[in-house]
Amino acid sequence: MRERELIGRVLAGDPSAERAMYDAHVDRVFRLVFRMSGDLDRAQDYTQETFIRAFERLREFRGEAALSTWLGSIAISITLNGLRKVRRAMDREVTLDDSMLAGRPDRVAEPDLKERLSRAIDDLPDGYRAVFVMHDVEGYTHQEIAASLGVHPGTSKAQLFRARARLREALADFAKE
Amino acid sequence: MLDDRLDDQLHDAARGYNPPPETPREEMWAVIRAKRAGGQPESRADGRINELRLSSVPPSARPSVRFLRWPVGIAALLAIGIGLGRLSAPRPEAAAPPAVAAVIPPRVSEVAYQVATTEHLGQSEAFLTLFRASVSRSGNEQLASVTARQLLATNRLLLDSPAASDGRTRLLLQDLELVLAQIAQLSPRPTSPDLDLITNGLEDSGVMSRLRTAVPSGANPTQGVL
Repeated sequence: MRERELIGRVLAGDPSAERAMYDAHVDRVFRLVFRMSGDLDRAQDYTQETFIRAFERLREFRGEAALSTWLGSIAISITLNGLRKVRRAMDREVTLDDSMLAGRPDRVAEPDLKERLSRAIDDLPDGYRAVFVMHDVEGYTHQEIAASLGVHPGTSKAQLFRARARLREALADFAKE
Repeated sequence: MLDDRLDDQLHDAARGYNPPPETPREEMWAVIRAKRAGGQPESRADGRINELRLSSVPPSARPSVRFLRWPVGIAALLAIGIGLGRLSAPRPEAAAPPAVAAVIPPRVSEVAYQVATTEHLGQSEAFLTLFRASVSRSGNEQLASVTARQLLATNRLLLDSPAASDGRTRLLLQDLELVLAQIAQLSPRPTSPDLDLITNGLEDSGVMSRLRTAVPSGANPTQGVL
């Protein structure tokens, strides 16, 4: 079924079309949200909220980008806002150590690259982390990232460059080994 | 060279960053359906209740404390007024000389009704202003409908009370009832004509201007009275 037709049926109130739209996009949304949050409960919450908001606002979708990109923009917005709220709440309640940061799951200190890289990605600023995860981990294009984050593709490329530079810097000792 | 090698290693290792589990699509779909239907969460296959987490409900869909506390406050004020009225009203079984009891005016009660009416009209004016200015455009009709129902309940209490003994107040309350009833009956996805009917009705009946006239501007109606 073509995307336009599917959207039309969803707007007409066809429940099977809603389910078809959900089935077509849920994996991609959930993967991105989970990569960003690192927590199953939060990933489920944010994914659910993404689709609820998408169904509510589908009339506002103009078709200028692909539906998957539009859903990605909702998902990333909900996720970043959600993680900020969680972090603020945790900041108020407890003294944080690195392992308790929202979206930064507990990690056992292991000297292997994978573990060190995960910690280094966790420590990136949200904007850099989103671009890095979307591009290098989930394989989004700069066009898709730009549309999702509401920035210019050049900004996406620049942020990816800086994110990688920070990661290289954080893992520089590995290069010397 | 070292950088290139590190880049390759980074790229490979990045794929292992927060590896997602299998998508719990049925579980999430059940919650989405329940929330969209505005109903209760469905049971999971394992028999546990699949909780709807408040944190995941968009703020726009949560009941507004600002909206809901008005009617609660007004209802409390009305209850006080009614209570005081009953306390000060003459009791038929009283054996005291009737002449004495009959001349005590229920002054406190009248003041309480007046305060409650002013408070209600002030809140109704604020609500209708908010409705006209923003709610009709931003898709909060369901929330507006809930608030309107609560204001409507207070409005009907006042209509049946001595507060409506004044002709002008009674007419205003009756017109207000019509507007609130229209908003209370809004469907979750009202059409433009529905909303236009309400906003045009507000203009035509002059309810807004009469509300503004009835509520003293800038004054807290409870101040110095109770």
